[in-house]
Amino acid sequence: MHVIRLEVVGFRNITEEQLEPSPGLNFFYGENAQGKTSLLEALYVLGRARSFRTPRLLELIQHGQPQALVRGIVERRGARAELAIQLSPRTRALFVNGKRRTLSDYLGHLAVFVCSLERMDIIRGEPEHRRHFLDEGILSLDPKYAHTLEQYQRILKQKNRLLKLAAESGDPRRFIEEIEVWNEQLIRYGALIHRARIRYVELLQRHLPADLFGSERIAIRYVSSLAAHGDVSEYETLLAERLRVRLTAELTIGHALVGPHRDELAITFDGRELRHYGSLGQQRSALIVLDLAQVSVYNSAFEEEAVFLLDDVDAELDRRRIARVLEYLHGRAQCFLTTSKPEIAEMSRPQAMLFRVEAGRVVPTPPPAREDEMNRLPEQATSPREISS
Amino acid sequence: MLDYAEAIHRLIEELRRLPGIGQKSAQRIAFHILRMNAEDVRRLARAIEEVKEKIILCSICQNVTDVDPCRFCSSDARDRSMICVVEEPYNVAAIERTREYRGLYHVLHGALSPIRGIGPDDLKIRSLLERLRSGEVREIILAMNPNTEGEATANYLARLLKPLGVRVTRIATGLPVGSDLEFADEVTMYRALVNRREM
Ligand SMILES: [Zn+2]
Repeated sequence: MHVIRLEVVGFRNITEEQLEPSPGLNFFYGENAQGKTSLLEALYVLGRARSFRTPRLLELIQHGQPQALVRGIVERRGARAELAIQLSPRTRALFVNGKRRTLSDYLGHLAVFVCSLERMDIIRGEPEHRRHFLDEGILSLDPKYAHTLEQYQRILKQKNRLLKLAAESGDPRRFIEEIEVWNEQLIRYGALIHRARIRYVELLQRHLPADLFGSERIAIRYVSSLAAHGDVSEYETLLAERLRVRLTAELTIGHALVGPHRDELAITFDGRELRHYGSLGQQRSALIVLDLAQVSVYNSAFEEEAVFLLDDVDAELDRRRIARVLEYLHGRAQCFLTTSKPEIAEMSRPQAMLFRVEAGRVVPTPPPAREDEMNRLPEQATSPREISS
Repeated sequence: MLDYAEAIHRLIEELRRLPGIGQKSAQRIAFHILRMNAEDVRRLARAIEEVKEKIILCSICQNVTDVDPCRFCSSDARDRSMICVVEEPYNVAAIERTREYRGLYHVLHGALSPIRGIGPDDLKIRSLLERLRSGEVREIILAMNPNTEGEATANYLARLLKPLGVRVTRIATGLPVGSDLEFADEVTMYRALVNRREM
């Protein structure tokens, strides 16, 4: 699977650009704040229907524009599909080959993974970022999981509203019957989420390129918030039991205390909890290793390449590590990397395609002229229009 | 400042308050009405007024009707041992179209949704329980929408009804989850009804 054409309109600082990337390695280079990361973000949005930088659609729409459009042609096992996502301040519309699709029918056409320092929260932030990282990985294997997540979130929202109402009512026990019917559904969808995450963490652990950067060992483990209270292999029974035990506490406090929305992914480095004890370097390495593992899990599940985005590659890695990562991704993913140092991009010539990004414009850099042609070819910049038509 | 003459502006504003109608549709409808001949407009206005004057809720099943009890509740041809419980009056039409169901109905006028401020007391549940007193009813079919709110409402009712010794069934959700019965075709609805399961 790879993107053969990308079109971005009214997205962040990009007014209207098109590009035709290489199926292998692509670099976006240029000064900071010119739009390099926005291009990665557009690719991510095209595959995932959400951003890795913000939950707010409004931020993605270019100032003064009513909406943003990202369109791409994806080639997969010889067949082409046109994906498009139209973003308005409050809604997003998803299209495959011109037909409107629901989220679960849209996801799965472009498996895209990203590694960016803007995602360091996965390593250092609150558990919700790590749960989200897992859910994202599960979605890359099973787009229908989007529906399970949506249902769970909705049930949780309804239950929380009810608990709040109960806590403020002065007679919370009057609401018990009603809370229990929401719990019934919470158990059903909660169990689906729990099982999917357990299974995904096993896969991820098996695919971790844990010694990519040296001898330190990264390990992960799914920690159910119910684990301390019984046998999580009988998850429905245990969840029902915990909901019963904690009902009074929930009624008092006014929000839901039990369920997979309280679970955690433990990440350790040489046996120590990375979040608290890891150095910044170790934490960055772990983030890349986890992101690469997601790609590897995808590769082996579908026996095909994914799309991998690596933001600000020189800030993340030294040259030796960049080489290691690119070597690892070779044959596993079409890669898009951003860098402020053109020499980093040049390093990977001639296999890589280079795009200079300046003030929201994308200018492809022609491949280096061979010596014998140097005298005959005048230097000229190709405009993006010319390469795409 | 108004874009249009006062009367047009007022009509657009009224139309905009209707569900599913935004500024553009409201404008389109308003100008359509403006172009209609006077008699057609009067007929439309009368239809709107009459629906409010003449339509009431059936004192038994809570469905919308112009006679009380409604045609279902007073019919000799309907099977009085079964009640199909639905969220909205228009769900009755969806089930009638299958021509499979010959029992009675009960309309809740909504589904449980704490977010929208709808609790059990806001639904027509008490009148449903009253209907079971006669002992005539043997089965209650719960035909709530296959979404989280419909599911919660069905579970809530099942808890109330089962201890009363009545058979409680739920229509099979071969219907896509998250959908609305309103949009189910006859075949899908028929299957959902025939394959109903014990709760
Ligand atoms: Zn009636």
